[in-house]
Amino acid sequence: MKIRLASAALVLFFAGTVAFFSVSAPRFATASTVENLMSGFSFMAILAMGQAFPILVRGIDLSIGAIVGLVGMVVFDLSLLFGMPGYGIIPLALLAGTLAGALNGVLIVHLRLQPFIATLATLAAYRGLTYTISGRQLVPGLSTTPIRDPWITGIESYFDVGGWLGLSRLVTMPWVPLSFFIMLAVFAALQILLLAARFGRDIYATGGNHEAARLAGIQVKSVTIAAYAVSGFCAAIAALIMVARFTTATEALGTGVELTAIAAAVIGGVSLAGGIGSMFGPALGAFLLGAILIGLTLQGVPQFVQQIITGLILLAAVGYDRLLVLRRRRRLAMAAAS
Amino acid sequence: MDDRTNDRRSFLKAMAVGSAAVAGAAAGMLGVPGAETGFAGVARARAEGTRYRMAFIQWQPHTVPAAWSKGIEEVLTPQQIVDYELLDGQNKVEVQASLMDTLISQGASAIFLQPIDSVALAPSIAKAKRAGIPVITLNIDATEAHAAHVEMNHYYGAMDIAKAMGDAMGGKGKVAILNAPPGIIIRDQRTNGFVEGMKQHHPGIQIVADQVADWDRKKAQDVLNTILAANPDLGGAYGVNDSMALGAVDVAKEKGLLGRFVVFGNDGETAALESIEAGELTGTQYTDVYQQGRLAAAAATVLATGGVTAGAFAQQSRLLMPYVIATKANAGSIQPSQRW
Repeated sequence: MKIRLASAALVLFFAGTVAFFSVSAPRFATASTVENLMSGFSFMAILAMGQAFPILVRGIDLSIGAIVGLVGMVVFDLSLLFGMPGYGIIPLALLAGTLAGALNGVLIVHLRLQPFIATLATLAAYRGLTYTISGRQLVPGLSTTPIRDPWITGIESYFDVGGWLGLSRLVTMPWVPLSFFIMLAVFAALQILLLAARFGRDIYATGGNHEAARLAGIQVKSVTIAAYAVSGFCAAIAALIMVARFTTATEALGTGVELTAIAAAVIGGVSLAGGIGSMFGPALGAFLLGAILIGLTLQGVPQFVQQIITGLILLAAVGYDRLLVLRRRRRLAMAAAS
Repeated sequence: MDDRTNDRRSFLKAMAVGSAAVAGAAAGMLGVPGAETGFAGVARARAEGTRYRMAFIQWQPHTVPAAWSKGIEEVLTPQQIVDYELLDGQNKVEVQASLMDTLISQGASAIFLQPIDSVALAPSIAKAKRAGIPVITLNIDATEAHAAHVEMNHYYGAMDIAKAMGDAMGGKGKVAILNAPPGIIIRDQRTNGFVEGMKQHHPGIQIVADQVADWDRKKAQDVLNTILAANPDLGGAYGVNDSMALGAVDVAKEKGLLGRFVVFGNDGETAALESIEAGELTGTQYTDVYQQGRLAAAAATVLATGGVTAGAFAQQSRLLMPYVIATKANAGSIQPSQRW
């Protein structure tokens, strides 16, 4: 119920933002803006959904930007240095991201490190590793060689959905990028995992009350490692989308995306106290931040204003989350007292 | 670039060469016979009330793009028909790509771009081209051909820095390079040009260290101190940008090496020129980046007001900015209005 309330508020806020820019920003309410939003921010929605998992188990994953960079460079090297075909690269890239994420989980669970510290350390380590394996440094010509593998570049393709549905005769429809469909698939898979699978129940239980979950026989260690692995897996998908979009990977690819992903997840109603949240909120949160960036750019408002507004929305979201936590505690205390 | 600029050549002469290069470039830029090139800031007759929209997407806030933007505005603002804005790429390719998308759907008349990566922004440039929008890149070229590219002369400038530096050191000794992080073309051009220049002009000089100092003055101090510990007989340092060179000057001051230790920078920002005039920094490659912005804006104006679309270019024009190796002997000829 609480989740639904938070989601409803977010949907209203998103609708309000879109309505505001449609009226005030020139050319905002156009098919091309919708297309830009989908192609420019689907990867961010995927990152935010992945980030939701560590937050659900009362952790945080600061290393996703570095994982994006690392996976991007793995794709770059396999394609341009080793000439591996794309259908072989994609599973290896997903595996690399998942392993990097799982390693975060192992550090947190087995070395008993704070998630913040552990993933801050791996942020530096993975980024360093990205520079170390960079094919751009080994072979000078590669930094100006685009990746041409159809399996990779095919990820950046667009579909005339409006044309198929026959809507294009009535109104100009945006072409939908494949990355948006990938985002929908990730959303569906993870949401089903959370709601219908045992793993989802374990995640909520572990995040809600770690000790109680352990006593109830839930493998909290494995569940925590799995949550970070999901985050790494999502970072790998995002990396593939980005490499396809840019036809290359840079050593700095993905720098700083973790902050936007965390912001989107929290704005999307994923509680930092753990155990509360769904996939819908983070995905919509990412598109909300994207819509604000595009809208303000069209209005000609300087970008630092966008950062200020993002900060304010984040504050509001965290404040609301805090309020819910306090209310829940009070109710529990009342129940205990009676 | 056969006519090497030597450090005796007066600054004005270099600027005159630059203007001639621009006129030539602008003429070559319009691959359309009979197209009017016009002068900077003079638009052709246009429909009443036509407004043009242009924007510059910078890499991240820094003195160089800020000075470009100022130069661009100097040309665009007086015309009163162009809405210009500076957009920040926040040092992220995905932000630059998203801003490109936004400008394309907005129907910009021209886009100035300082791409973070030559390949990563190529798809965005191709998209702008399909929409007919001319793109002019600054300093970093892209693998997708576009309207024009205006850049500081990184490679040959670095060669001349090596020559001047070797001359100052008497053709022998050891030097260290204070470098930028890898992965940026500018870094490679400014390093390779320097190494090549030393090979050609001063084979007796050894490059004993090449360390990353992150474009940063403070970091350069620490790095150079480490290098000096290993090579106490080091005779000079080359900073790939002025900030790092000024860091080397700080170390030389601290160790009482001023005058014996040769330091060269690259860019020519105000702080470096002042340091040269104070007899601390030995020299730097100076480029008038205001002028670089003005040239890009002049070209964009011609294209936009002349109704030239991106499809009209048979090939991309490329303009290398004139430069001067500024040392104590000639730094004074760089006017206050040319300092950035």
